[in-house]
Amino acid sequence: MKRPISIVVWIVVAFVGAGALGGIAFHRGEPLNATWFVVAAACSYLVAYRFYSAFIAARLLALDDSRATPSERHDDGRDFVPTNKWILFGHHFAAIAGPGPLVGPTLAAQFGYLPGTLWLIAGAVFAGCVQDCIILFCSIRRDGKTLGEIAREEVSQRGGFIAQLAVLAIMVILLGVVALVIVNALKSSPWATFTLAATIPIALLLGLYLRFLRPGRVLEASFIGVALVLFVVVAGQWVADSPSWAHFFTLSGVTLAFALIAYGFAASALPVWLLLAPRDYLSAFIKAGAIFSLAAGILLVRPQVLMPPLTRFIDGTGPVFAGKIFPFCFITIACGAISGFHSLISSGTTPKMIIRESHARFIGYGAMLMESFVGVMAMVAACAMTPGVYFAINSPASIVGATSDAAAATISSWGYPLQAQTMTDLARAVGEQTLLNRAGGAPSLAIGMAQIFSSTIGGPRLLSIWYHFAIMFEALFILTVLDAGTRVGRFMVQELGGRVWKPFARTGWWPGILLSSAMIVGAWGYFLYQGVVDPLGGINSLWPLFGISNQLLAAVALVVATTILLKMKRLRWIWLTLIPMAWLVIITMTASYRKIFDPNPRLGFLSYAKALAAQIAAGKIPAAKIADTQRVIFNQRLDAAVTAVLAAMIIVLIIEALMQWYRILSGNPKSVLHETPYFATRWTEDFSGASYPGPTAEPEAPAMEG
Amino acid sequence: MRSAQAKTQAHMEQTRALAAAIRMKRFAAKLWLGIREWCGDSAYERYVQAQRTNPEESCLLTPAEFYVERVNRRYSRPNRCC
Repeated sequence: MKRPISIVVWIVVAFVGAGALGGIAFHRGEPLNATWFVVAAACSYLVAYRFYSAFIAARLLALDDSRATPSERHDDGRDFVPTNKWILFGHHFAAIAGPGPLVGPTLAAQFGYLPGTLWLIAGAVFAGCVQDCIILFCSIRRDGKTLGEIAREEVSQRGGFIAQLAVLAIMVILLGVVALVIVNALKSSPWATFTLAATIPIALLLGLYLRFLRPGRVLEASFIGVALVLFVVVAGQWVADSPSWAHFFTLSGVTLAFALIAYGFAASALPVWLLLAPRDYLSAFIKAGAIFSLAAGILLVRPQVLMPPLTRFIDGTGPVFAGKIFPFCFITIACGAISGFHSLISSGTTPKMIIRESHARFIGYGAMLMESFVGVMAMVAACAMTPGVYFAINSPASIVGATSDAAAATISSWGYPLQAQTMTDLARAVGEQTLLNRAGGAPSLAIGMAQIFSSTIGGPRLLSIWYHFAIMFEALFILTVLDAGTRVGRFMVQELGGRVWKPFARTGWWPGILLSSAMIVGAWGYFLYQGVVDPLGGINSLWPLFGISNQLLAAVALVVATTILLKMKRLRWIWLTLIPMAWLVIITMTASYRKIFDPNPRLGFLSYAKALAAQIAAGKIPAAKIADTQRVIFNQRLDAAVTAVLAAMIIVLIIEALMQWYRILSGNPKSVLHETPYFATRWTEDFSGASYPGPTAEPEAPAMEG
Repeated sequence: MRSAQAKTQAHMEQTRALAAAIRMKRFAAKLWLGIREWCGDSAYERYVQAQRTNPEESCLLTPAEFYVERVNRRYSRPNRCC
């Protein structure tokens, strides 16, 4: 594009984006159309990508295309595989996008659409994308080392150990909480339970096909699998209609929790090719399809956003989860704005496949923008339903009551009119017995998606099919995280255990495999069980815990990034990572403090434990329930302890980092950069069709020790 | 004179349509290759190619052996996120 035209176009994009953002921020009264959200987000992302990411790539990181990347130097056709940047973008996006950006915004919609949307956009542009891109860059320059290894080399030995522990902790909490989301979506729903259960034999079938019949033919196997999965979504209806089968698949929360625990154990201990890998292929295709359809659906239907910009629950009394807008809006929406987990994908996997350093901008920054867009769409889908219905689906029974009448009365008294009949009719229309008290975000997102899809294809008649398609898509998504996460967690446990006792680290040793699988499944299974039996609904205590741990990992990643930038003498632009890091430390520390010590029993773990203990002492709890209540008390104290340990870890890491920064700034010769030495690339084109001028820069002498 | 002009024009249009069809076909082929590479369908071919240019092992793995080894590696590190 010619320069003047380009300037005019970018000025127009910036103004349209600013106008749309202003529109959603200051609009009051009539419901707003979803188009405003799409335009505001898309224009903000375009401007951020064009200017901010270009600035980061050129000035902060000085990406150097004359430098050979790990995929060129170590090309082995296995881990180090030179990959076209568009394909790698697809890989990276499929790896980072999970259930987080769908569930978080749906839960945060209880504050209204505005805070969540603004945080999704601003958080991604200034923090999440920056983290992903810089960590990717750091790992490229270190032969694809993982975040833990980089932290150990660049910050300190202890810093690396803390990063590894943080990864394991977040993994356990994450798996527990996402499993809880599935349980809340599947309990007493024979249709959804049957559909998800049927994906397991389908995956086994694909596993055998890919291993023995047509080895490695992923595409054809996936087509067969996707067709079968779509069939079982429809077949679920017949199961739900048949009294004997429906009875068999109507499971309680506790039964489902144990089923998931058994599944996690099996997926971790069985050979990968049999269950885990084929299920992941299935979920990758369905994930891509569902996200594209959601985007297309929102653009076609352009639904009205019925949720107000701000609700009365910004004061912390929200039914979905307790806590004020600051800091809990920023904790609830982790993925979609900034997610520490992404730094594990950005280090270790993607950097081994990248062809040129400059692709880090498109893949690191760009893929995260796309994930943020998924979060904005989830927010639109959640806010497009009547606020009364949203609160009825997402509030626990202990707050709104267990029956439609009670829920309608409570929610209407908050100022969100709801008729009991509406909930009964809606449940019948989607083929469920009830939609009440299904906290966790998945069912309300599925209702939102089903309403959007059915106004494009099929009308109200297909509402139930679309609803179960959406539930299946989210559950499949989450199972992927669950089984892949359990397996990775198992390896981490084996590695840590191997330091104490050598044979434990041997990955082919059966007692080691079984024991470490049981340990990791037992750990997340405990959180899951605790959430299922929690009288306040589980999500209330566990989702913030997950958010805190995920944001803490992001803080770890940004501490590492800041340290490396300081070592690279980028002092002038250090605030690009320092400010997001400080923000994350502030929100996680405030949220941890509130979750542990807040006097409100719905918010503070310790005060809830104290209130329950007082009730037992006063004899208000019936004798039969005393044991259960004591377990809840124990769980609350455990959650408080976990939160405190996580917070303490980040404090120690920051102290370590501050000491390292002092050494760097005072010119201590011990703090050196551990980059791999410069090698000039021998490739003359960049594999994406565009020709590349070839190595122009003179190879410098390797400046740092490797 | 007029018919010659019309003929040339028709010919030009035909050529343009053919060129567009070729471009479409190339694009579709590229897309197909991209999808195959994205989902791991062509991983074995890539491996054979890499081993040919830069041999590291004395004998090549069979497609089935390579597939099992590939998924084992892939699912041993974080590759699915929240």
